[in-house]
Amino acid sequence: MRLVTAVIKPFKLEDVKTALESFGVQGLTISEVQGYGRQRGHTEIYRGAEYKVDFVPKVKVEVLVDDDDTADLIEVLVKSAQTGKIGDGKVWSVPVEAVVRVRTGERGVDAI
Amino acid sequence: MPSDAESPAASTAPAKAAQVEYLHALRGRSDIVGPALRRVLTDTVRAWLIGLFEAADPGPGISLVTLGGYGRGEPAPGSDLDLVLVHDGRAPDVGTVADRLWYPIWDAGISLDHSVRTVDEALRVAASDLRAALGLLDVHHAAGDKDLSARLRERTLAQWRSGARKRLPDLQEAGEERGRMAGDVAFLLEPDLKSARGGLRDVQILRALAAAWVTDAPPAPVQEAHTLLLDVRGELHKRTRGRDKLLLQEQDSVAEALGYADADALAHAVADAGRTIAWAYDSAWRRAGGVLSQQGWGRRFGRTRRPNRRPLAEGVVEQNGEVVLARNADPAADPVLVLRAAEASARADMPLAPHTLDRLAAESAPMPVPWPDAARDAFVGLLAAGPPAVGALEALDHAGLLVRLLPEWRRVRSKPQRNAVHRFTVDRHLLETAAEAADRTRRVDRPDLLLLAALFHDIGKGWPGDHVTAGEKVVARIGPRLGLPPEDASVLTTLAAQHLLLPEVATRRDLDDPATIRQVAGLVGSRGVLDLLHALTEADALATGPAAWGPWKARLVGELVDRVGAWLGGAPPPKPPALTADQEALLSAPAAGDPHLLVRVGEDELVHVTVAAPDQMGLLTAISGVVALHRLDVRRATAYSTSGRALSELVVSTPYGRLPDEAKMRSDLVAALGGSLSLDQRLREREESVSLPRRPGLASPPPEVLFDDSAEDATVVEVRAQDGIGVLHRIVGGLAGHGLDVRTAIVSTLGADVVDAFYVRGRDGGPLPAGAERERVAHAVLAALE
Repeated sequence: MRLVTAVIKPFKLEDVKTALESFGVQGLTISEVQGYGRQRGHTEIYRGAEYKVDFVPKVKVEVLVDDDDTADLIEVLVKSAQTGKIGDGKVWSVPVEAVVRVRTGERGVDAI
Repeated sequence: MPSDAESPAASTAPAKAAQVEYLHALRGRSDIVGPALRRVLTDTVRAWLIGLFEAADPGPGISLVTLGGYGRGEPAPGSDLDLVLVHDGRAPDVGTVADRLWYPIWDAGISLDHSVRTVDEALRVAASDLRAALGLLDVHHAAGDKDLSARLRERTLAQWRSGARKRLPDLQEAGEERGRMAGDVAFLLEPDLKSARGGLRDVQILRALAAAWVTDAPPAPVQEAHTLLLDVRGELHKRTRGRDKLLLQEQDSVAEALGYADADALAHAVADAGRTIAWAYDSAWRRAGGVLSQQGWGRRFGRTRRPNRRPLAEGVVEQNGEVVLARNADPAADPVLVLRAAEASARADMPLAPHTLDRLAAESAPMPVPWPDAARDAFVGLLAAGPPAVGALEALDHAGLLVRLLPEWRRVRSKPQRNAVHRFTVDRHLLETAAEAADRTRRVDRPDLLLLAALFHDIGKGWPGDHVTAGEKVVARIGPRLGLPPEDASVLTTLAAQHLLLPEVATRRDLDDPATIRQVAGLVGSRGVLDLLHALTEADALATGPAAWGPWKARLVGELVDRVGAWLGGAPPPKPPALTADQEALLSAPAAGDPHLLVRVGEDELVHVTVAAPDQMGLLTAISGVVALHRLDVRRATAYSTSGRALSELVVSTPYGRLPDEAKMRSDLVAALGGSLSLDQRLREREESVSLPRRPGLASPPPEVLFDDSAEDATVVEVRAQDGIGVLHRIVGGLAGHGLDVRTAIVSTLGADVVDAFYVRGRDGGPLPAGAERERVAHAVLAALE
């Protein structure tokens, strides 16, 4: 099992959710986060007005997934979150040692 | 807890009496609810206690009394059993008797609060511990020596009455602290029925005040409200093992058990009950303060024997910490009086006296439709007071005056909302939003529209269907009724219709996409409306609950506003209207009579003071100073100069009801211009003599000074500040003191705030250069306003 984490632009959340549902993901966790990547300190000019971009609001999506599905799921996440512009975010995955469904006590893949 | 075998009482009393099993079984009995439940609980426990007491084999000189819920005969299934074993100090082995009583109760799984005391000991504890004193007021004889129990009760009451002077202020403070921690039964979606303001604890305090002989016993409506809360608490305890907070998840089943149509009907009834109790509670404390001060006992209440009346507004005075009507005020002839009284109450943070509310409710003339400007000003001024406005509006609501002024309010009054994000009922959310908006009035050029939009943005929740669509239609009717001109009414409707626009777009749309920005700009229309919407969004979210706003959303909304604002560009500053025929005539009047000063009452029923004089530095400072000296409140003003002559028209209200004396004003103006009258000094003296004490923490937002370059030959200085005596005079003085020539002034008082635009030229006759010079001007104006 792996935990796939994606940090995306907030307005892409609906697209990502729909794509993950089509892929068969049963549940996910969302949090409102702020951070920066390569665009730190970048100043944007928008119709003559300057905006200093420092910490940028993003949405963090976390999904538990079977090892075999990881690559496909990351692909789905990247495609659905992409706008092609700076600040689109990141997706990464880490191995998960144990998962338990609290209500039933099921473990491992059954608990996903 | 020891097992039965270890318990010293195990051999003398049944550990699981039939009554105990019955008590536990009551939690599952849906057929025993309300007063019947309380009666069965009380009777069963009292019978059980008699059995236990007899089995404990006490000698003479001992009695058992119940306190708390069981003492009052008002227990809920999860109530503690508060017991005192009273003895005369001579009874041998009272400790063994206590053990024989307490252990079976513990073993029965019933929560016990117990003590063993003589009458003197109990009174000593009550004298030092307020909670213990309150508990003892509910003492009820359960078993044993009846005379001993009666003695405890009589001496407790006597001690409470004689100590009222010292105890009541602490009791009031404790109640306020409890209210701050637990909030209001009337307004919270998940109220604490026991501890919140307007809850069961407040009724106990009302009874304690009556027991101290400083107020009457709680009236019938309070008793009905109390019964309702007790019924709800009884059902809640059955489901939650003794919790007092009515959580959303329990409301459906409690509503069904008590025969309400649904959870909303239950929440509505609970909110109304909380309102009734909270109102009686506040009134009782005011009466208690009055009684204590008459007895010369006022410590905390700070009252004096001689009534001290101070004017607050036309027809409204302060008397002994309450807002009352002046002797010559006539609600039947003055429909705006009710709003002026409410505004004065909020701005001075003093309650409206109950008899004043009764009189306003009985005698007030209906408000004309559309509302006169003075009514709207007073209403907006009331909202601008921030948090104290909530209490003033609640007072109007209690007297039925709010619904009379705003019939739509009935639809949202005490209306619950089943929503995980919201904390408050709809009406309270609207009041809280207005209070939050009052903190943001300097950020917008129309504080009046911001406050009104905050109060009405969710009014559509009182109608079926989507609340935004419904609200748009309702607000479109309210704006014209309040007397707003069509363009302002249209902005108010836009604000209500779009109050969710910014957060929705900011979190769900691509802000990099020009189409997003274009679409929002199209819906908003102007920079001014955008700023209003931004302030409204923040106020709405902060008033909703902790989950609705944070740096994450603030950042996204802020970015959207910046981008849309850049797209829309700045709004042009206001221009003065064209001269009227009267003004033209005055301007061309012979110079020999300068300065010409004319006072007349306009169609708007406000007083218009028009002055024509040769243009000179300090002219507007002098005029505005003289107007302030004559106790006139500037509502609007325009001033301009042409061909060496200047014309100023100040539209003023007369807070003390007297028409200004034209000849005296003119002579004061001549003296001020000639230097023989020091306006600053006179105004300072005036302000010191009439300034009202405002409680700390009620400061309005600090003034703001903005600069605009859209005029060709002058710089527009916009000042946003709180209204007050001589504000215009001070601002103009600050500008003149900096050597600036005010060519044109457009002054607007919007409720309690002023938004003034001054077209000024620098010492060199041109616009002000950007940078340090402007900072100095801003500093001079702010210093003049301090």
